[in-house]
Amino acid sequence: MRKLLMVRYGEIYLKGLNRPYFLRALVARVKEAAKPFGGKVWLHDARVFISDAEDMDGCMQRVAKVFGVHSIAPAVEMEKDDFEGICEQANQLMQGLCGTFKVEARRADKHYFLDSPQINAKVGEYVLMRNEDRLKVDVRRPEHILSIEIRDQAYLYCSVYPAAGGMPVGTGGKAALLLSGGIDSPVAGYMIAKRGVQLVAVHYHSFPYTSEFAKQKVLDLAKILSEYCCGIRVYVVPFTEIQMQIHEKCPEDYTTLIMRRYMMRIAERIAQKEEALALITGESVGQVASQTIEALGVTNQVVSMPVFRPLIGFDKIDIMEYARKIGTYETSILPYEDCCTVFTPRHPATKPKMALIEKGESRLDQEALIRSAVENAEIVEL
Amino acid sequence: MSIYLDNSATTRVCAEAAEAMVRCMREGYYNPSALYAPALEAQKQMRLCRDAVLKAAHAPMGSRVVFLSGGTEADNLAILGHAAKVRAGRALYSAGEHPAVKEACQSCGLQAEEIPYDHEGLVDLEALKSLLSSDVALICCMQVNNETGAIQPLKEIARLRDETAPFAHFHVDGVQGFLRVPFDMAACKADTYALSGHKIHAPKGIGALVMTPRAQLNPRQVGGGQENALRSGTENTPGIAGLLSAIRRYPTENGMRQLKLLLWRLIQEAVPEASVNGPAPDGEKAAPHILNVSLPPVRAETMLHALEGEGVYVGMGSACSSFKQRISPVLKAMHTPQRQAESALRFSLCPDNTEEEMRIAAQAIARQHAMLSKYQRR
Repeated sequence: MRKLLMVRYGEIYLKGLNRPYFLRALVARVKEAAKPFGGKVWLHDARVFISDAEDMDGCMQRVAKVFGVHSIAPAVEMEKDDFEGICEQANQLMQGLCGTFKVEARRADKHYFLDSPQINAKVGEYVLMRNEDRLKVDVRRPEHILSIEIRDQAYLYCSVYPAAGGMPVGTGGKAALLLSGGIDSPVAGYMIAKRGVQLVAVHYHSFPYTSEFAKQKVLDLAKILSEYCCGIRVYVVPFTEIQMQIHEKCPEDYTTLIMRRYMMRIAERIAQKEEALALITGESVGQVASQTIEALGVTNQVVSMPVFRPLIGFDKIDIMEYARKIGTYETSILPYEDCCTVFTPRHPATKPKMALIEKGESRLDQEALIRSAVENAEIVEL
Repeated sequence: MSIYLDNSATTRVCAEAAEAMVRCMREGYYNPSALYAPALEAQKQMRLCRDAVLKAAHAPMGSRVVFLSGGTEADNLAILGHAAKVRAGRALYSAGEHPAVKEACQSCGLQAEEIPYDHEGLVDLEALKSLLSSDVALICCMQVNNETGAIQPLKEIARLRDETAPFAHFHVDGVQGFLRVPFDMAACKADTYALSGHKIHAPKGIGALVMTPRAQLNPRQVGGGQENALRSGTENTPGIAGLLSAIRRYPTENGMRQLKLLLWRLIQEAVPEASVNGPAPDGEKAAPHILNVSLPPVRAETMLHALEGEGVYVGMGSACSSFKQRISPVLKAMHTPQRQAESALRFSLCPDNTEEEMRIAAQAIARQHAMLSKYQRR
């Protein structure tokens, strides 16, 4: 008998011939997550198992953040032929619980000497006889489900914890996330990473208009994301020079939009360098002046890669809720100036005219500015 | 090499204090409440520090010193402790008080009211006069404002108190003034005086509350009954040793005022639009070590970081509140115009600063202001 974690995957079940590819990625990600805890990880019989972790709870919490994992159950593995032992172990698992329960057996080994309803009945009876003062059987809406899986071995568990879901990171290619210090962009990054996409983050730093604290905040946010994403490389792009030139040479109402266009261009350049195939932003229609449909069109125009905006139809309040769920909210609301608000114009253009933008941009040495920004970016591995 | 001009936020622990603390931790580490001889030595050290504090504050005969963790706790003990004793009445505090005083007044159970500032950041005595009545139980005013360096008219406040509310407790927050600005507790007729070690080159985590015999306080922390049962908990003897050394070492004759005036002159030469927030820097109402200057149109936060880039560290408003709100409540209370308030930086000196540092800092300010004033939000 030994204790282990039984990890179940979700959407990968739906894959056909490609399933082994996704499973290899999933196991690799779970192995990375369990490594600090010294856990052994293996795939067997449509489940990923983790044994020998020093801190089972800590290991479980970490693995629950691995995309592709649907749920995790701390389970007991035992010899399936020792049915007495199984009954007693089931009884042990139910100690400390009260209310209603049922036993839910699943039999992958169809040659087992009992079928599933028989296992349910026998184990249920065994447990009930010994805990009549605390437990009652309810097969329709039980408070506790005692699961027994008969495979090569028998596995017993009575708690199943939901995990992050999604697809294993790396199976969906790579994309560059425009990461500000705000609430939205970390959520956008999370959502795309959850679909198996590896992230590389691009952050624009405008010292002295923004501080070391602001930069550290973004790195802290990236660190939170990196737990889900198996590491993130962050490009901290020096952006002061570009902002100053835009401020000096372009029409005031258009400075934000032109700045956004530069951000997209630089992000695309970094994405190409990183062999990423798309950009991700936290934009949502109408949230601010640079996120009207017209403005989004204008910023989208300067890149040829697909731009993913997973929050496009979200209300701010829903994004905040999501940020709380993934643990980025508290960091996002720290009040440091961010580069987007440094030179906010009094009346930003919400229905921009292309001719004015192009005229403004023609006064800037675009290629030199972008090249210098990309070349001087600081790279931080998290 | 960096130039540190944020000494009102905190100071570098002086060598003497650091050495005294190490000695205390390694050799004189005994619990002063213990009964063997070395513990008596620890008690003696504490007594020496109490005497040094009393002397430096010119406390009246019979005054006591309670050691505690710092300025915030000292203010809290004075205000909450007094309110718990009297239980009813009004509490007046000046508009520019540190949150440790303001919040304590607002939550102490007395009816809290603010005494307005004038445009120089000094307590408006006329307004105080109209606020005073016999039901005032507590008056709080700082010795020196932490943001502007304005030296408050404590004697006048005490005189008004004596006329109308003679039983009111007068608490003075001396965190920004202790040792840097002469203070005569007896002459000011203050009942309690709060001070903090880390503003005068002692370590963080040590402070004191001086109490005259008239002061009536209930404890805020109970337990073993240390500090005359006003602040239970084993005494922070290393901190107290550090505080003693820092007080002894603090040069009362120092060139801070001249350096501050030099810095101000150099800033004025480089940035004609610069202006001082608070009393005239060369006047007697201005503390020698604090200079609050607006450098429009450059926003304070931007300038602060630009100077940081040049290795010059300055403050904006109070360090405790820099992240909370953009415009400082002190400047707001002085009715400082928004543009001026948004660009206000605080330079705070210590006796270790040099003329060369002032010149380098002023050059950095000139350079950054010339560059940044072209690139500001319109």
